[in-house]
Amino acid sequence: MKGIKYIKGWFSDAWGIFAHELRQIVHDSGVMVIFVIGGLCYPLLYNYVYKNGILEKTPVAVVDRADCAESRRFIREMDATRELRIAARCTDMEEARELLRRRKINGIIYFPDDFGERLARMETAKLSIYADMSSFLYYKNVMMGSHFVMLHEIGQIQVDRYSEAGLSEQEARAFIHAIPYDDNNPYNRAFSYTIFLISAILLLVVQQVMFYGMSLLAGTMREENRSFAPLADRFQGQGVGRVILGRGGAYWLLFMGLGLYIALIVPAIFHFPQRGSFEDIVLLLLFYVTDCVFFSMTWSTLITRRESVFVLLLFISPICAFLTGFSWPESAFPAVWKYFSWLFPSTFGCRAFINLNTAGGDLLTVRPLMRALTLQTVVYFVLASVAIYAENFILKHKNEFEQRRERIEQRLERRLERREKRLTETR
Amino acid sequence: MWQKLRAVALRELGIWIRRPIYLVGSVLVLGFCTLFYLSFFHAGVPTDLPIAVVDLDGTSLSRNFIRQLDATQLGSVRRFETFPEARAEMQAGRVTAVCVLPKGFLADVNAQRQPRITFYINGLYFVGGSLAWKDLLQMVNLTSGAVQREVLRQKGLNDRAISGQIRPVDIDVHQIGNATMNYGAYISNIMLPGVLEMIIVILVIYSLGTELKYGTSRHLLEKAGHDIVAAVLGKLLVYTLLFTALGLSLVLIFYRFLHFPFAGSIWSMALGMFLFVLACEAVAVTIIGLVPVLRFALSIGALYSVLGFSLAGFTLPIEAMPAPFTGLAAIYPLRAYYLFYVQEGIYANGFAGWYPQVIHLLVFLLLPLLSLGRLQHAYIYQDYERN
Repeated sequence: MKGIKYIKGWFSDAWGIFAHELRQIVHDSGVMVIFVIGGLCYPLLYNYVYKNGILEKTPVAVVDRADCAESRRFIREMDATRELRIAARCTDMEEARELLRRRKINGIIYFPDDFGERLARMETAKLSIYADMSSFLYYKNVMMGSHFVMLHEIGQIQVDRYSEAGLSEQEARAFIHAIPYDDNNPYNRAFSYTIFLISAILLLVVQQVMFYGMSLLAGTMREENRSFAPLADRFQGQGVGRVILGRGGAYWLLFMGLGLYIALIVPAIFHFPQRGSFEDIVLLLLFYVTDCVFFSMTWSTLITRRESVFVLLLFISPICAFLTGFSWPESAFPAVWKYFSWLFPSTFGCRAFINLNTAGGDLLTVRPLMRALTLQTVVYFVLASVAIYAENFILKHKNEFEQRRERIEQRLERRLERREKRLTETR
Repeated sequence: MWQKLRAVALRELGIWIRRPIYLVGSVLVLGFCTLFYLSFFHAGVPTDLPIAVVDLDGTSLSRNFIRQLDATQLGSVRRFETFPEARAEMQAGRVTAVCVLPKGFLADVNAQRQPRITFYINGLYFVGGSLAWKDLLQMVNLTSGAVQREVLRQKGLNDRAISGQIRPVDIDVHQIGNATMNYGAYISNIMLPGVLEMIIVILVIYSLGTELKYGTSRHLLEKAGHDIVAAVLGKLLVYTLLFTALGLSLVLIFYRFLHFPFAGSIWSMALGMFLFVLACEAVAVTIIGLVPVLRFALSIGALYSVLGFSLAGFTLPIEAMPAPFTGLAAIYPLRAYYLFYVQEGIYANGFAGWYPQVIHLLVFLLLPLLSLGRLQHAYIYQDYERN
């Protein structure tokens, strides 16, 4: 009977805290701005910003000093690539450089005088490309566009030459392409900037929005001299579990909704690849959101004033993005930052989302990441419990602490007096 | 006027000393970020990317291929028995590419039956993926060339003729503004000023907003002789000094100590940085003036500055974004700073190159005129929601 009563009480307490927390969230305009704009609108906005994701037809200038059939064919073919557009034909490098400096073009293709001659002599003919490095995507386009054409041209020229030497075209091709290759980029066919960036940051939004929101509320309660971790007196310090589950439940509910929206609906709106199975993504969200709740609960205890979270921790968002390894590869992380990245749920959650949703993996693929998430959840759960317990302990025993400190101070003073007295006596 | 400014500035310094959040939120945060970005991308170009190789042949030729791939600076080979294993590793993001050497590779090469090498790249990890792709492509072409060379040698051609035959056209590439393709320099160059923008926007909003929240705004106005312009300018005076010092340290660290590629004059860059700092402050004043509620203004400032990294256009160029964003990018000082850097740091164009950016940054200074009146009203009457 007592057991049932306890359980009943437990749930009604947890429910009370849960409802209280939800009310707090909804009534706080700053938090709602972050949740609504940051959580609902930003994923849409980012998708819209990176909607195209592919830089096409980078304008380049051509300086054709050779002016031969081969160079002209080369230029025509480059103009036809997806990457490049011949925006200007210049008579010398000075002119082309001037265009580059004025940013009318992002690259220069230069054919030297002897280009045609060297080809005729069956030597290696060289051409030079100059790429604007102000964005690496300009470089990538200039590089890829010219290399595709070069490889194609090489094949063409070689076939001609071997044919002249008496080989049939088929023989010549077999010889030139001694080892042909197939290159595939299965998850991101066109090297689209969108696909790689959006996969990485979608779930990051969940973590950051939750963390900032929870910290704002924790700071507010601290300022108003209330604890962010209310334990009713009748619990006598026993209610940590109820507080954590009650408060956590409120965020968990909100962010499971937001998470489903971000991970499933937003990509669908923008026709973003969704190769993972629905159940797997939902399962990932269950783990990830739970982890984020305890993560935020733990770290938000360090926030003593409402606004300080933005002043002190806004910079962590881009850092977390880099720590997912979406841009700089994880294998090249310096060791310190690799360990540092383990502090954040996003490190594992975003990677799992990339692998599940965009690379079309299954749960087996992300097993190590899910394990890491689970372990992290346990650790942060314990830390959050300790933090809440400590907060209450300190609040409740504030007076005792002060009394004790006074007592110790008095004792120290007395001891000092005695020592002085002794010193004067010995003199 | 000068006396008023002095009084406000001294008051602000006093606040800094009493509340460490101002210095922690600027100096320490930027210090940490500088440490992070500079050490995170320390290598400049990633090396030893894990590339999975499935060797179905197991002959001298395939082993040689693997050895050479492993020996490249970019690649580090991990061998797998079957393709599904390797593919699962790629799907899990643990290898950046998979390369399959077909069964009968050597025999087919010898018999000129054109065996096909297949490789798969994980394009979801951008830098790693494209570098691995480049590395594999180069290795395949080299191997193919080596096979041709062997045959041509047997036919009695000399090496010069052979190389003309194998590679009739070659390209040499010149990277203007970052010759070593240092990814770290490329990212840090703009990311860290972006972090500075974030710090300035947030901290100035915070500083002007706390006066409202804690009801100290009338005291501030009193010090400033009931002049809102003096109050704001006095406060900004000390912030400008602090942020300019931080900004100039970035410029010095990048282009003097770490020798990031830089073509122009460091003095011009310092000027650009100074104007950038002023522009960011102006944005912050505008936001808190339009929304004189601290919590609200901070949330808006946070959302504003986070988007700035994307809209600067230094990764995905702005021309590849939908049309509205090419316009929206103009509300970010970071965008102007980036263009300024391109003009000065990459092309050394000097004043003729970057004067439009100077004008752009100066226009930001007019923005507070929109909102100063509102801020004054709020400072005097304190009639907005405090929390």
